[in-house]
Amino acid sequence: MAATAVTGPRGGVPRGRDPGRPAPGRPVQALAAVAGVLLGLPVLVLIVRAVSDGSLVTALGMGVVVDALSLSLITTSASLVLMIVLGTPLAFVLARRRFRGQWLLEAVIDLPIVLPPSVAGLALLLVFGRRGLLGPTLEVFGITLPFTTVAVVIAQTFVAAPFFIRSARTGFAMVDHDLEDAARVDGASERQLFAWITIPLASTAVTAGLVMSWARALGEFGATIMFAGNLERRTQTLPLVVYSEFQTGNLDTSVAAASILVLAAFGVLIAVRLMHWGRVLDVRGVGG
Amino acid sequence: MVVPLLAIALAACASNGGASPGATGAAASATTAPGAAAGELQVYAAASLKAVLAKVTDAYETANPGTRVTVSTDSSAALETKIEQGAPADVFLSADTKNPQALVDMGLASGTVTTYAGNLLTVIVPTSNPARITTPGDLAKPGVKIIACVDGVPIQGYTVTLLENLVKTAGYPTDFAARYAANVVSREDNVSAIVAKVGLGEGDAGIVYVTDARTTATVDTVAIPPSANVPATYGGVVVRASTSRDAAGAFLAWLAGTDGQAILASFGFLPPS
Repeated sequence: MAATAVTGPRGGVPRGRDPGRPAPGRPVQALAAVAGVLLGLPVLVLIVRAVSDGSLVTALGMGVVVDALSLSLITTSASLVLMIVLGTPLAFVLARRRFRGQWLLEAVIDLPIVLPPSVAGLALLLVFGRRGLLGPTLEVFGITLPFTTVAVVIAQTFVAAPFFIRSARTGFAMVDHDLEDAARVDGASERQLFAWITIPLASTAVTAGLVMSWARALGEFGATIMFAGNLERRTQTLPLVVYSEFQTGNLDTSVAAASILVLAAFGVLIAVRLMHWGRVLDVRGVGG
Repeated sequence: MVVPLLAIALAACASNGGASPGATGAAASATTAPGAAAGELQVYAAASLKAVLAKVTDAYETANPGTRVTVSTDSSAALETKIEQGAPADVFLSADTKNPQALVDMGLASGTVTTYAGNLLTVIVPTSNPARITTPGDLAKPGVKIIACVDGVPIQGYTVTLLENLVKTAGYPTDFAARYAANVVSREDNVSAIVAKVGLGEGDAGIVYVTDARTTATVDTVAIPPSANVPATYGGVVVRASTSRDAAGAFLAWLAGTDGQAILASFGFLPPS
């Protein structure tokens, strides 16, 4: 399983040395092995521990974990909907229009990918907090966001949307113009064109982006704990359980909750490999 | 393919020998270089001690030239967990006696718990006091946003006792604790986070130590009836795995002694009860 994930789709690349190219020497191979172990071992140990001592199964019967798991699923679903509704038009505009300052807008959109989540949480508080930029206005309408489930969704969307927007943008950009023109010639309206040609052709990239965004939203921690707080059944998602339970000495619960997250994240990465999403996922560096 | 690589890597790690393995290895070996080992003390301290310990370490380092004290603060419960997991602490200063006693009971402490400070609880509100809280009883008003701590953190334990005491106080409804709990909007992992979120105005109120309220101008206090208040007793231990137990013991004794007590008192701490 792990080997498949690391070496990519089977059958393509022959094993062993790549003839005709300089081979990595022993020291390089040894360092590569150390790197592989350093990256893989911690997660492996976590899963083995969660499974072997039964805490994973036990945790699935614990209120705090089950509540957090369902809250995580609900909030990440809501985040995905928000991303689709708001992110798709943005991605479409970025893919099809050229305008002054576009590079700057794209950099700003990418920012949450590289920002520490605690910075994202602080920034969200400064905007949506009760004393933030929009907080007092929202309060006039009886809306207070911090410490609510809505705040969790906002935090998740904020940090995860860039992954979706990037991929969707790439997907829209890759759609063959000739096909769209052909549909236009056949009398399709712009709306029909978008719904029946552009979206289906970009769907692989859009789906891949959604899956990556979901994984990022599921793992959201720093912005959530700062902006949405930490309260069972309302704002305590699975990553917050991992932290809170560790902080108060319930290591088994913490490990079990963590292993659920590892399995979910690993599932996403496996899916990306199996579905050959790698080529449509826009994972270029910021500023690319 | 993977298995031989693993074996090679493990062998490579093992042959490093001298350096201590693990994530903390680099930091630990950098700070406990031979010759300097005795002069470095790692103090793990309750979040409510952060401000006073800056003064304490200065005074201790001045009184003991060559000694360097580094402080790491978090909730006592979190620090206790970290020490259990092998964190390189020399001294553990808790905001209760339960967490250090747990280390003693597990054989992870050297000697017994030394009590070194006392504290009392107070209600804090943002200076603008948006929920208009004037007595602890107002914490039960519907819609008040209370910031609390997760279970296991000392302040939360003291708070539960305080709520029990208030229920028995004249003028407080019998379901006061339940109404308080219904108003909790977030459970932080240490008391400093309560002060931060109330000070920021995101929360309407929180129950913290009297000394915490003195560390910032962003909050006002609402006094708790003395008869209901809960005296907090701070206990500390020397960590058994410490490589400088003598120096750690000396620091703890100094903190519990005249000099340490004078500094603690200047920050509003009480003598240990």
